[in-house]
Amino acid sequence: MNLRPHHFILWGLFIAGMFLMPELVGKGTLRTMIFACYLAMFAISWDILSGRTGYISFGHPFLIGIGAYTTGILTRRYGFPVEASIPIAVLVTMAGGLIVLLPALRIKGSYFALVTLAVMELMYQLVPVVRPDLTGGTRGISRLPALTRGAENGYYLAVGLMLAVALMAWLLMRTRVGTALWAIGMNEESVRGSGLSTTRLKSFAFLVSAGVAGMAGAFYAHYLGTITPRAFFDINVLFQIIVAVLIGGAGTIVGPIIGAFFMVFLLEWLRPYLPGQERFFVYGLIALVIYMYQPRGIMAIVEGAWTRLRGARS
Amino acid sequence: MTMALEVRNLVKRFGGLVATNDLSFDLAEGESLGLIGPNGAGKTTVFSQVMGELRQTSGSIALFGEEISSLSTAQRIARGVSRTYQVPRPFSDLDVRENIRVGLMPDSLRAMIFGAADRDREDELALSVGFTRQDLDRPASELSMGDLRKLEFARTLATGAKVLLLDEVFAGLTTGEIAMIAEVIQDLRHRGFTFLMVSHDLPAMEPLVDRAIAIERGTLLAQGAFADVLADEAVRASYLGVA
Repeated sequence: MNLRPHHFILWGLFIAGMFLMPELVGKGTLRTMIFACYLAMFAISWDILSGRTGYISFGHPFLIGIGAYTTGILTRRYGFPVEASIPIAVLVTMAGGLIVLLPALRIKGSYFALVTLAVMELMYQLVPVVRPDLTGGTRGISRLPALTRGAENGYYLAVGLMLAVALMAWLLMRTRVGTALWAIGMNEESVRGSGLSTTRLKSFAFLVSAGVAGMAGAFYAHYLGTITPRAFFDINVLFQIIVAVLIGGAGTIVGPIIGAFFMVFLLEWLRPYLPGQERFFVYGLIALVIYMYQPRGIMAIVEGAWTRLRGARS
Repeated sequence: MTMALEVRNLVKRFGGLVATNDLSFDLAEGESLGLIGPNGAGKTTVFSQVMGELRQTSGSIALFGEEISSLSTAQRIARGVSRTYQVPRPFSDLDVRENIRVGLMPDSLRAMIFGAADRDREDELALSVGFTRQDLDRPASELSMGDLRKLEFARTLATGAKVLLLDEVFAGLTTGEIAMIAEVIQDLRHRGFTFLMVSHDLPAMEPLVDRAIAIERGTLLAQGAFADVLADEAVRASYLGVA
């Protein structure tokens, strides 16, 4: 997509609005927004691999969990400073993902998805029982050092990280690698037939995706202050990430952000009326309707409306 | 004379089925060779083996004197051979220019990230196969079959290959489009490109090839001048259905 002046204006307004938000809303809303920012980072991470190449990963909670557990173990068990533990967590996530999930990139379609799902489930079962002295078993690790004090600072950190991740992903996807990854999602054989090593391209996408997941997972763990297997290696985490991407718009940078905020706030708005698990049914229904109406998500609905508006004016 | 492609005793078996049966042929640099045979004769299987998409059971394939049997498809393309497919395989959400860009990409992550796309070259390739400037921003999903063939041809040229394998390059084209693609092929022949060509449109193929080989069930039936191959009794019996 070619950049036009209105794109810069919209991004400027969005960033200014995000940074003014603590002046406009209460602490409760800020905390909801912090969660939405982290979910947006997880969703962008998933989209770099799955939204572009079409290799649907069900193992992203595994990557997020490695990042979170690595920084948790290093800071709480070995006394590492967070300045060191978070970069190490990113590297460990990339290496762990490389060893476990990368061989799966050689298989295709539903088989890839099933292998990644199996890895996540394996992690969920193993973490509580293997070295519980390090992982804290089913109770996890608590009292992780906080990176910020107060909701406002936590919010600024989350927004800053989300914008940095979005910018990095946007810059990367504007290069020829972005075009090639997109092309793999459309026809992998043709990419190979054009003289490109698709295994190398997919591995690169996977590594970048894992790096972002590990980084976001590590920061999120310090924000929460607690890590438990259920909070990270859970199928609901996976569904939230995938639904955020699909209803926002896969294969875009803005889509996963819109999807994450839409989903998180929808659930919050439903809470007073449906305090139990039934609100997930309503949110699932709304996501389904959006997806059926426009499989390319809210982003495509907004773009379509914008195009019609411009057509009506001219 | 330098040989661009040397295929020796090529055999490909799928279980009990022999798709390529001890096939040997040469393709000189700058030459254009027609590969003909009835449906199911194994022509596309030969292409797939030359490109490394299928590994041969036995036999050898050399490109410009170098044995390429152990190389990946990407490595073979880097050494100068590329192909088109019977059914075009476009990147449907990408526009014409971006489709060609994929063919022009170097197989290096560093170069792909830090290098810029060569838009002039992309445009040049698109225009050379008959696209207009208005077509360049059209997504491939909106193109006709004829345009998709042109796009595939352009992307194959973009890889920089000098040996081009064209599989049913005229299928689905109008008379005008066939004439236009034929003109492009003739131009490339004059510029020294080497062709191995499969087509069921024999009248369209005849002026574009120096000679032909005919196969049936993967076995060589005849080779020589185009007219002589078509006049061969075995070829007429198998391919044209007349004795």
